[in-house]
Amino acid sequence: MRFMMLMIPLGYETAPPDIQLDPERVAAMMKYNEALNDAGVLITLDGLHPPSMGARVSFAAGKPLVTDGPFAEAKEVLGGYWMIEVASRDEAIAWATKCPASENEIIEIRQVQEMTDFSEEVQQAAAGFAELQKGSGR
Amino acid sequence: MRFMVIVKASQDSEAGVVPSTELLTAMGKFNEQMVKAGVMLAGEGLHPTSKGARIKYSGKTPDVSHGPFPLTNDLVAGFWLIQVKSRDEAIEWMKRAPFDGGAEIEIRQIFDAEDFGEALTPELREQEERLRAQAGR
Repeated sequence: MRFMMLMIPLGYETAPPDIQLDPERVAAMMKYNEALNDAGVLITLDGLHPPSMGARVSFAAGKPLVTDGPFAEAKEVLGGYWMIEVASRDEAIAWATKCPASENEIIEIRQVQEMTDFSEEVQQAAAGFAELQKGSGR
Repeated sequence: MRFMVIVKASQDSEAGVVPSTELLTAMGKFNEQMVKAGVMLAGEGLHPTSKGARIKYSGKTPDVSHGPFPLTNDLVAGFWLIQVKSRDEAIEWMKRAPFDGGAEIEIRQIFDAEDFGEALTPELREQEERLRAQAGR
């Protein structure tokens, strides 16, 4: 089963575009990343720039409406993520609890949808998705 | 530049309602266009938060709480990773996404090694590159 571990650093929703990282924290996090990798669990990971550099596109009005960040109504935003492959949700939670996160951080664990989770009709409509993923240059 | 396009959760996505065949077909076409243009790196949907968990790191031991979580504009339902030349190009692509009314997405740039400056020492950088080469099975 694949899971996404979503890193949610509280306060990141108002972080300036030129945010600076603490080298010590980066080093601690790299040790954790290495442990995930050594266990054969890690698929990929990325960090996201603050939302002040981002944009939102809303389709509520029938046509796309673009808003530049930061987003006034955001209470929490993503700071980054890990994609992992483990045998169960409990195993994903166990990995997340080992993360050297600080007190203002939350990790949300979410299972990634697989084609087999859906009905045959849906699988037919999404036929070719696996090929798309393979072709998408990873 | 790489961007993560975050698809916001909705009442339907949190209830586990799967999109219509029509929307899935349109989304497949959109994905195909992005793959052909060399833009799309990855894309996944996430199960509702009722099947998820959150871990908070206040105090000595991590505090685990189980979903579902209250539906806010900040919950995630899925994502794309795309590679484009600018934020504007990312926005232009996503304006073409075949979403129906109510959907909202957020476009966020992904950190590259160059963005970290001196915080990422040569040793850490080497470690990061090795990790990325090994991961991704």
